[in-house]
Amino acid sequence: MAEPDSSQTPPALPEPVLARQNRLHLSLVWIVPIVALVVGAVLVVRALLQAGPEITIEFRSGEGIEAGRTEVRFKEVVVGRVKSVTLGPNRDRVLVTATLERNVRSIAVNDTRFWVVRPRIGTAGVSGLGTLLSGAYIGVDAGASDESRTEFVGLDQAPLVLRGEPGRSFVLQADDIGSLDVGSPVYHRRVRVGRVLGYRLSADGRSLDIQVFIESPYENLVTLDTRFWHASGIDLSFGAGGLTLSTQSLASVIAGGIAFATPHDSAPGGPAVSGHRFRLHGEQRQAMAPDDGEPLRVRMVFKQSLRGLVDGAPIDLLGVEFGVVRSVALRPGASLQSLPVEVQADVYPRRLGAVHARFAAQDAAGADRQLLKQLVDNGLRAQVRTGSLLTGQLYIALEFVNKPGKVAFDADAPVPTLPSVPGAFADLQPQVADIVARLSRVRFDEIGDDLQQALKALNQATVSLQNTLASADTSIKQLTPDAQAALADMRQALTSANQTLNSAQATLRSAEANITDAQAPLQRNVAQTLAELQRAAQALRVLADYLQRHPETILRGKPDEPLPAGADKR
Amino acid sequence: MNPRYPVAADLGVIACETCGLVLTAPHGAGRWRCPRCSHPLHARKPQSVQRTVAWLVAAVVLYLPANLLPVMATKSVLGRESHTIVGGIIELWVTGSRELALIVFIASIAVPLLKIAALTLLAITAQRRSSWRQRERAGLYRLVETVGHWSMLDVFVVVLLVGMVHFGVLASVEPESGLLAFGAVVVATMLASASFDPRLIWPHDPDKPVAHG
Repeated sequence: MAEPDSSQTPPALPEPVLARQNRLHLSLVWIVPIVALVVGAVLVVRALLQAGPEITIEFRSGEGIEAGRTEVRFKEVVVGRVKSVTLGPNRDRVLVTATLERNVRSIAVNDTRFWVVRPRIGTAGVSGLGTLLSGAYIGVDAGASDESRTEFVGLDQAPLVLRGEPGRSFVLQADDIGSLDVGSPVYHRRVRVGRVLGYRLSADGRSLDIQVFIESPYENLVTLDTRFWHASGIDLSFGAGGLTLSTQSLASVIAGGIAFATPHDSAPGGPAVSGHRFRLHGEQRQAMAPDDGEPLRVRMVFKQSLRGLVDGAPIDLLGVEFGVVRSVALRPGASLQSLPVEVQADVYPRRLGAVHARFAAQDAAGADRQLLKQLVDNGLRAQVRTGSLLTGQLYIALEFVNKPGKVAFDADAPVPTLPSVPGAFADLQPQVADIVARLSRVRFDEIGDDLQQALKALNQATVSLQNTLASADTSIKQLTPDAQAALADMRQALTSANQTLNSAQATLRSAEANITDAQAPLQRNVAQTLAELQRAAQALRVLADYLQRHPETILRGKPDEPLPAGADKR
Repeated sequence: MNPRYPVAADLGVIACETCGLVLTAPHGAGRWRCPRCSHPLHARKPQSVQRTVAWLVAAVVLYLPANLLPVMATKSVLGRESHTIVGGIIELWVTGSRELALIVFIASIAVPLLKIAALTLLAITAQRRSSWRQRERAGLYRLVETVGHWSMLDVFVVVLLVGMVHFGVLASVEPESGLLAFGAVVVATMLASASFDPRLIWPHDPDKPVAHG
């Protein structure tokens, strides 16, 4: 500091007073940034400690996902939050980056699945309604793997089975999907016990694999012998018992579903293991029928029109549905005048049940063919019959005919031929034709002429009858006065007859008094005579009794000993 | 070299900052006080640059959480949402309220940053006893002092919302830790500008001849 110039300093200025000296050169204010640093460091450390792993999920669409707002939820508990939503490198996917909370960082492992929960309304119900208000969120199904991972591919839809959900899944082999869809219900005794997880066409496109999930505790109801069938729609059948309408629940009628049951007579097999394959039948009756085994393709040749025989028509063996018609086609015959009709059909020899078990060697490869050959040798023939006169539907009946001709049945042919006989309907046709021919020979015109002449004659006869009646009427009118006189005479005769009858009545009355009066002599005599007769009959009865007990008295006479007291009384 | 105007030190006097009493400059180190009002006497604010820098460091440190952490959380039936200052500005801008976004941006982002930058410049030049653009630097200091009062806008808004929006489960607003940090940033910059002594813009050089007018 420069020395003050005394000439410029005003005189008699007061002197400042000295305060206590502060030796610290470093200002205390530095505490502030230090505290700020410490607080900031604590905040950073806390944030670092709290921050869980950051994961990236690929989705097909980013609909409803918002950075900083969309939550990641596991079992409806928030475990993270979406940090950013960007497009993937090829712009075909959406990359969602989410930060998980630290305490659930073990959730991000190899087999963890992510999906976006949005409101969904389907036939199986409504889900995700809460997201209507709160917006979509990302659902998590935590995996069980130990390998952690940060990049995932999100599912397009919520998985139908969450990990750890108790139950068992099975595969149903079906011909078509019907009205089933993912999430369609599975029923047992019309109780909803499971759902369809998904379906997949087999590699060759010939069948369909439907995956179903049976929830706990119902999964043990599925045994090795359980049958599954489409419960979709309505089964309306008209049988001997009347009209039968068979449906599952109304929901399944609309949305489709699968039902299963185990036949009562099935062998007690254990519960089926997870992933077991079953066949999905079209309807309950078919499903619950005993196992048909492999179908055997046969052909039958008929020499008649088979109009009304369609694919799927039954083949009936003594009332058992033995098979089903697969095709009806013409075959070239010996000439163009006769074109035989060839019917190809699938028969199920196993449907013969006990017959099959008894006569077919179970283990032989051609057992079914051999059984068929035995049946044909014993007179089994195919015959076309009318199933319904109303619709003209035909079916094929297999019956044992009385005098079968010898037919060679080639059991080894690829498609064996079943011999056929003309059906009842085919027999009927020539007979009807014969009747018609006979009828055509009748001379209906001559009969008509004769009839007309006869009617004319009848007409003439009626006219003459009318004339006769008219003349009779006149003669009656001429007779009337004589008849009146005769009637007056007749009345007099009747009066005198009446008097005679009155006197006869009086005579009869006196005679009646003689008979009915008790004091009348005739009556008294009759009473006495009857009493005498009664006594005589009594004596005779006593005699007869005695003789019965002592027949010897007839020869020896009556002994002297007195009669028993009982006999005396009689 | 141009001669300079005399300063108080050249004349051997010192003025009390509170009551304006002019005293002879004290000799020797120590904590001198004004005999009239007992205010501490010093030719310049003590450790001015050091304090300013310290407050600035604190402000910079606190500026990070103030912008990274949410300042406010709105709770409604739809869920809980946290908002940061930048997020709120972007939302305002995107939803079309560009004027509002601009105001919030200036008050909450631009002003604190400007203050920090300006004070840093002033502190560095003062420390180096620079004579570069002294008038402009003085103007900058006045601007910092004037504008500083308006940077608490965000804090006021949140405090108002917290006080007014109380609809139970339907909606409520809660302050979050970022707000505290933001408030601390504003306070730190105000203290930094208060501890800066603008007289340091013109450093005292006793060797330079004094112009006598």
